Amino acid sequence: MAAIEANALTKSYGRTLALEDLSFEVREGEVFGFLGPNGAGKSTTINILLDFLRPTAGEVSVLGMDAQARSRDIRKRTGVLPEGFETYDRLTGRQHLEFALDSKGADDDPDELLNRVGIADAADKKAGGYSKGMSQRLMLAMALVGQPDLLILDEPSTGLDPNGAREMREIVLEEADRGATIFFSSHIMEQVEAVCDRVGILKGGQMVAVDTVEGLRDSVSTGTTLRITVDRIDNGAVNNIRAMPEVTAVKTDESGPSLIVECNGSKTTVLNEIEQQGLEVRDFQTKEASLEDVFQSYTTGREVRAQ
Amino acid sequence: MSTETANSSGSGSGSATSSINVESVRAVAKKDFQDAIRSWVFWGLSFFFLLLLVGITGGLAYFSTGSGSTQELTTGGLISIVSQVTRVIIPLIALILGWKAVAGERESGSIKVLLSLPHSRKDVILGKLIGRSAVLSLSLVIGFGLAAVVVAAILGGFDIAQYVGLLGMAILYWLAYTGIAVSLSSLTKSTTLAGGAIVGVFMLFYGLWNLVRTGFRMLMGRGIIDGVTYTGTAEMPDGTTTEFTNERVPDLALFIESIDPGNAFQNALSIVSPAIDGVTYPGVWFPDGTPFYLEDWFSFIILLLWIVVPLTVALWRFDRVDL
Repeated sequence: MAAIEANALTKSYGRTLALEDLSFEVREGEVFGFLGPNGAGKSTTINILLDFLRPTAGEVSVLGMDAQARSRDIRKRTGVLPEGFETYDRLTGRQHLEFALDSKGADDDPDELLNRVGIADAADKKAGGYSKGMSQRLMLAMALVGQPDLLILDEPSTGLDPNGAREMREIVLEEADRGATIFFSSHIMEQVEAVCDRVGILKGGQMVAVDTVEGLRDSVSTGTTLRITVDRIDNGAVNNIRAMPEVTAVKTDESGPSLIVECNGSKTTVLNEIEQQGLEVRDFQTKEASLEDVFQSYTTGREVRAQ
Repeated sequence: MSTETANSSGSGSGSATSSINVESVRAVAKKDFQDAIRSWVFWGLSFFFLLLLVGITGGLAYFSTGSGSTQELTTGGLISIVSQVTRVIIPLIALILGWKAVAGERESGSIKVLLSLPHSRKDVILGKLIGRSAVLSLSLVIGFGLAAVVVAAILGGFDIAQYVGLLGMAILYWLAYTGIAVSLSSLTKSTTLAGGAIVGVFMLFYGLWNLVRTGFRMLMGRGIIDGVTYTGTAEMPDGTTTEFTNERVPDLALFIESIDPGNAFQNALSIVSPAIDGVTYPGVWFPDGTPFYLEDWFSFIILLLWIVVPLTVALWRFDRVDL
């Protein structure tokens, strides 16, 4: 059974189409990264999963239940870190957790949860005095209440410093080890890269790619950059290499000396041609497209160029 | 659930999503209560009610010693004045405190904290209404309670039954306006609109409603609607009596007038305290007896309807909107 299954979801606000015929599936037990630039429709999708918004057309099921008809049952088994939330200023961190425990009928130890997200020492302080990062941690602790089967995290790193973002990732991995399915959205690639089994890229309300991190990288790695250390640099040879159909650009680096070749296609052909030109290849390095580049290529429509 | 999930269809009625869960309502109400009781507004209000009652009693005690005082130094006299003051003040406070109840949470995003947890939207509205009402009622009880001691000391004699009756009616009146405020608040996403609606309600009952009778008279004058003719007897200066016929506004106009929560409060209070005048129509208006919906006891029902009807609309509507 899929943890989340969206089928032809469409959401329009008047003439503005926020989601267009969006279909995707999140498998049980996986960490699914939901990527896209701001305004791509990530929060709209998540709000539909939680029944904050109603789709114009299409349907979505969460944990095998219809997201509209059985929202309460879904939220009983789901931990949510929403985007753009606000905590209750006059209630302490502990009271927030007690409210979540009360609401879910769970009996976890609030102190343990607060400790896990790193704000145990602020348990009895009013949330009105919390920083953005602390509020984010508090809401995460509330999401972890009752060992949910599914965690929906909307831009979880908002307001967190790099250390906090790392701790967030560790918690995500711990929860995944426990067996929970994790669905989290982000517009920052590197957070997703480190923890996700699969990644879906959303652009303009449509899913433009869903694959594993490796798969995505392969799918767009049309460009490769070779850094080839040679014995000497010969301008004639460089011009001949530049003329090859596989090669899109050649730069030279006197220190080394080395050639920096951007090519589409076989590296071996390029290396053979260099040897043919009478240069000795002493060493070479390849640089692959980073996932950030992949993301860029899908969301901006520009071709990926590895560096 | 059908494949087509248009905005309007929302979730089917009676489905798990739109249901009311008592435990959920309790959890939301408890949270709202904990939150509100820590606000200075709560303590400010309690203090305000205390001052109001003590101040009025003090004033009464002071002025009633002079000759020609119209108010007697009794619980009845106190209630008579306090009811006039609370009639204006309670709606103001309830509307001011209630207008942000739901719209404010939607605007700030704290409603996402509530609805991320397994509460239905109906649970949220009911929980908020109960939590908020509990806090405000408590402030009334504290204010009235503390004042009771001082008031009893100044008044000498003290009719607890009437005093508690006034407190009970004030709470009911309060609930009616809190219901109106929370409901209006849940119908809109914008606190500006909610605020506007609240001002509208106040203008409606404190301005427009006073013109109901005049309005009906004008319509009668133009022959658009018919008034009700009645006959009465009047005593002439020379001691003889003469019969006269006159026209009054129809029962509908009188009923509309009595719908105003303020009027309903006043009328219902007259049952609790003899010092308050309830509905007074000339006897000759109703030779066959006053219709039941114009009697004082019906004002209780009107107040209850002011709690139930706006709430029902809000519960129905709030289930169908995008947050």
